[in-house]
Amino acid sequence: MIVPLEHILILAALLFFLGLGGLLAWRTNLIMMLVCIEVMLNAVMLVFVGGSTQWGNADGQIFAIFIMALTSSEVSLALAMVVYLHRRKRTVNTDLFSEMKG
Amino acid sequence: MEFYLAFILLFPLAGGLCNTLFARLLPRRLSEAVACGAIWASFICALLVFFNFTGPLKVEYASWLTAFDFQAPVTLYLDQLSLSLALMITFVCGLIHLYSIGYMKGDPALARYFALLNIFVFAMLVLVLAENLPLLYLGWEGVGFCSYALIGFWYQEEKNATAGRKAFIVTRIGDIAFGIAMVWMYRLFGTVSITQLNSMASLVPAGIVTGLGILLLIGATGKSAQLPLSVWLPDAMAGPTPVSAQIHAATMVTAGVYLLARMFPLIGASEAVRAAIAVIGGVTAFYAATCACAQRDLKRILAYSTISQIGYMVLGVGAGALTAATFHLLTHAFFKALLFLGAGCVITVLHHQQDIYRMGGLKSRFPAIYWPFLAGALCLAGFPGSGGFFSKDAILGAVFARGGALYGSLFALGLFTALLTAFYTFRMLFVVFHGEADNSRPLSPSSGEWHSHLPPVMTVTLIPLALFGLLGGILDLPEYLGASAFLSGFLGPIPGFAGLVQAVPGDEVSLQIIAAATSIVGLGLAWSRYTGDRRAASLAMEEAGSPRSDFFLYGWYLDHLYHLLLIRPFEWLSRFLWKRIDESGIDGSLDGLARFTARLGGVPAGWSSGRVVTSLFGLAGGVCVVLAYLAWRVLG
Amino acid sequence: MIPNSLPILTILVFLPLACCLLLLPAWKRPRLAFSLALASMLLELALTVGLFASWKGLAAVQTALPGFLLLEDRSWIEAFGIRYTLGLDGISLLMVMLTAFSFCVAILVSWRAIKERAVLFLVLLLAMETGIMGVFLSLDLALFYLFWEVMLIPMFFLIGVWGHGRRIYSTIKFFLFTLFGSLLMLLAIIALHLFHAQQTGVVTFALHALLKTTLAPHTQLWLYAAFFLAFAIKFPLFPVHTWLPDAHTDAPTAGSVILAGLLLKTGSYGLIRFGYPLFPQAAHILTPLFYTLALIGIIYASLVAFAQEDMKRLIAYSSIGHMGFVAIGIAAWQPVALSGSIIQMANHGVTTGALFCLVGMLDERAHTREIAAFGGLWGKTPLWSFFFLFFSLASVGLPGLNNFVGEFLILAGTMKSSPLVAALAFGGIVLTLIYMVRLVQEVCFQEERQPLELTDLVPRELCLLALVALLNLWMGVHPAPLLDLIRTPVRLLIGGGP
Repeated sequence: MIVPLEHILILAALLFFLGLGGLLAWRTNLIMMLVCIEVMLNAVMLVFVGGSTQWGNADGQIFAIFIMALTSSEVSLALAMVVYLHRRKRTVNTDLFSEMKG
Repeated sequence: MEFYLAFILLFPLAGGLCNTLFARLLPRRLSEAVACGAIWASFICALLVFFNFTGPLKVEYASWLTAFDFQAPVTLYLDQLSLSLALMITFVCGLIHLYSIGYMKGDPALARYFALLNIFVFAMLVLVLAENLPLLYLGWEGVGFCSYALIGFWYQEEKNATAGRKAFIVTRIGDIAFGIAMVWMYRLFGTVSITQLNSMASLVPAGIVTGLGILLLIGATGKSAQLPLSVWLPDAMAGPTPVSAQIHAATMVTAGVYLLARMFPLIGASEAVRAAIAVIGGVTAFYAATCACAQRDLKRILAYSTISQIGYMVLGVGAGALTAATFHLLTHAFFKALLFLGAGCVITVLHHQQDIYRMGGLKSRFPAIYWPFLAGALCLAGFPGSGGFFSKDAILGAVFARGGALYGSLFALGLFTALLTAFYTFRMLFVVFHGEADNSRPLSPSSGEWHSHLPPVMTVTLIPLALFGLLGGILDLPEYLGASAFLSGFLGPIPGFAGLVQAVPGDEVSLQIIAAATSIVGLGLAWSRYTGDRRAASLAMEEAGSPRSDFFLYGWYLDHLYHLLLIRPFEWLSRFLWKRIDESGIDGSLDGLARFTARLGGVPAGWSSGRVVTSLFGLAGGVCVVLAYLAWRVLG
Repeated sequence: MIPNSLPILTILVFLPLACCLLLLPAWKRPRLAFSLALASMLLELALTVGLFASWKGLAAVQTALPGFLLLEDRSWIEAFGIRYTLGLDGISLLMVMLTAFSFCVAILVSWRAIKERAVLFLVLLLAMETGIMGVFLSLDLALFYLFWEVMLIPMFFLIGVWGHGRRIYSTIKFFLFTLFGSLLMLLAIIALHLFHAQQTGVVTFALHALLKTTLAPHTQLWLYAAFFLAFAIKFPLFPVHTWLPDAHTDAPTAGSVILAGLLLKTGSYGLIRFGYPLFPQAAHILTPLFYTLALIGIIYASLVAFAQEDMKRLIAYSSIGHMGFVAIGIAAWQPVALSGSIIQMANHGVTTGALFCLVGMLDERAHTREIAAFGGLWGKTPLWSFFFLFFSLASVGLPGLNNFVGEFLILAGTMKSSPLVAALAFGGIVLTLIYMVRLVQEVCFQEERQPLELTDLVPRELCLLALVALLNLWMGVHPAPLLDLIRTPVRLLIGGGP
């Protein structure tokens, strides 16, 4: 193992917070928010893979593959919904959506 | 016997219910016939009971209030006192019912009138015949309600309805005291039966008997319009005149006297109570007589005279002269009913004009009203030989015989009141019937014409009352006239009626001479002032009014005093409690609490704005908190 | 005679609920639904009257508990020792009769008044009847609490949906007040249950087992205070009464009838059945407080009633005053006074219920309840005015009508234990008279103040009121059968008390 786990974790954390920061900052565009969520998910995936190599257990990698499959389907659904939403609202600015208010 | 006794009560009740239930469905004639028939049937039953009467009788008909040791069944008690009152009530009320047919001719609400009148008689008879206090209270409140409804009989006018309400409330204030006395007796003796209670005075300390007696006295002052609760009776004249005759002169207002006489064996055991009763009676008699001298409304003169005469009866009870008080109660019922009915005739022929200054010279035009009215006036004034003379004098004699400073001054006050009585009675008589009506003043607001057609039933009913009033003295003539005192003998066996002090025969004669002289002096004063040439001047002077006469006209401003002391603070307090305590105080603080809670809830409620970013910030914040905690755990 | 094998009490409680199911097919036909609901309520009434007619026969047969005419006991939630125990004694029988009667009145008075969502209204009414019947019959504290909450919820919707004026405010106020009290009571019930389990090892909520729990005086006081607060809010006693005028004013007429006739009675019933027997010493200690609050209630409510401008509000305040008398009778805890209180509970239900009906009928016609809008109604609507006067007289305690019986017995009994309280309470009677005759005068007498087109009572209303008036008269003239009915339970209760 060349790369120590600490480095992987630091990288994952950086990626995660990068994604989170982007998510909070870039909320005028729903598509960019989806991109940021992908970044966060990849950070999590990186942790899984790193853990898997550290302890020699395949479970982490299997999880990573699962997440990949999940994100691809999630993104396709989410983009479809974004298109639909754009058609109805003529905008992708999330600050203008408040239909979920209780 | 039990059968007849029950029917004395049932006839008026049935008549009243009949008129209530069928109301306007009944033709007028039938309505009248049912009402009058019921009372006269009741009178016949009372007569039958009288002729079969052998001794006191107690009959239990049904159970009423029974809970553990509290027992108040429907039990009637017939003794000489209740029997003589029942006879008087059914007879006088029967005549007044007949009179009402004439007086209420053309009134659309005849059924309501007769229903209430019948139920009144029923309640009055229950009051008189009840054996226990709660049952007596049923009659007591029943007559109070009928009085309320009949004073406000012409309900469209606010004045009438208010007078009815006033009568109901003021008498009810007295009833509180009566009620407290009733439950206190239950606490002390474990019973509310009058006959049992009357034998128990010796079981409790004198102080408690005094307390009970004062409470009953307050109850009696309410019903009998004695000071300080006398203010309702003058206003009660707003009702139809036969109602004033029946309820506010002959029967209901004497209920207080009856109650005191009935409970006398118990409460009379206390010297303080007897003195209090006598003082209330004597002072009220004087107070009302002074007010009567200044009145200008025919019915109000009679109302004040009623208060005054009942004052005499109460004074008699206080002096322990129960027979004399009862005697006066009976004769007063006849002559005061007569006077009211006569006044009713006058008011009818004058188109509901009641101001005596607008009257005059009726004697020649309506002798059928004048002569019976004169008979009534003679009795009221205590003119020698009339029924009122003997009964009033019996009371004064008993007060005199008691001796002592208190009763001595009460006797003097009573004698002076007798002078006033004779004066105001003849003032009324002379102003209304003698002289000439001032032609410059219209007789009635509507027309100057006199109503010359009086239904004959109205004048005919005056005659038996006049005879009973004038000859009522025969019931109980003093011993020096050589006659047997029937009423004293009849009432004698009742406990408490035997009399505490026997009058000395010599004193009695001289007393009666003094009383006769007083009456004639009063007559003379009125004669010199209100007849002949001086009439016009006196009337003009009186009509102009003066502060002194206003003082008497408004009943010593008692009403104004109560308005200032009681009614205004009551109204203020009730609004204060509602607006300040209930709405601002309790509800205001609770609403404030609710608003505070709502605002507190508003803080987290703002977070659910429905926008994604709020949730995202929440997520990020949550992550930060978790991480910070972990860092603290790991590093710290 | 009713055969003994039938679970009569269960039928009594759940018959109205069963009728709700029957109403579902009639969802679109409100007239049919009204008839069905009325039929079930009449059946219920017939059942209770049948029980009343045969109570002496039932009393001859001993049940497991002394004084109880009928008893049903089944296991329900074993783990917590909650049993399904229903019991009927004289007091509950009187209350159950009153319940069945008041619901018949309530449905008849809503016959034409409720036009929107009528079937839902009926379903709620029937559900409430089940709840109230359950409260008056259950002898298991957990079951009692369940029914106590069940009866609350339909009332919440009844005021909130069919009410008028500030109905949302009023119904939430009503709900919060009652819920606040009952949650404290729930805590006290659970605490009592745990104390009992600790002492005896028996896990139970049964009233007759819990009666034998011995509690430290301090604990007893706290538990009683929780019960007392719950019942005082329902009563309602002085400082916690303000929900009542609002709830009454804004409720539909049927709601007012039930509120005055029954919901207030659950408070006094609970105190008699649970509060006093469970915590006799605490109740004894708090008696002066109880007296004071009741007296303040009588005088305060009567004064406030005098100033009211809305007829319904005025009668609502009169309810507080009348319930003050009931409270005094319970506080005296003396046989005569307690009999009076129990009778007065029924009397007040009948009289005040009828007064609310009358005001409701007037409101339907004139669309206002402002006293100042009326005047001279005696000439226009003589039948209405007659009944209004009649029930007002009953309300002020005219002897011969029903309220007098209760009030007088309460005062006579109270005189034995605390004369001063009785004497002060007598003063309340005259205060009642003052505001009642003012109301009658301003509405029925005098000149009319606003030209209103009013029709007199229709035959349905006339029959309803005549029946209530006859019942009122019967209770006032011949109360002996009712007093007989409650004699044994009252004796047993007092015997167990201080």
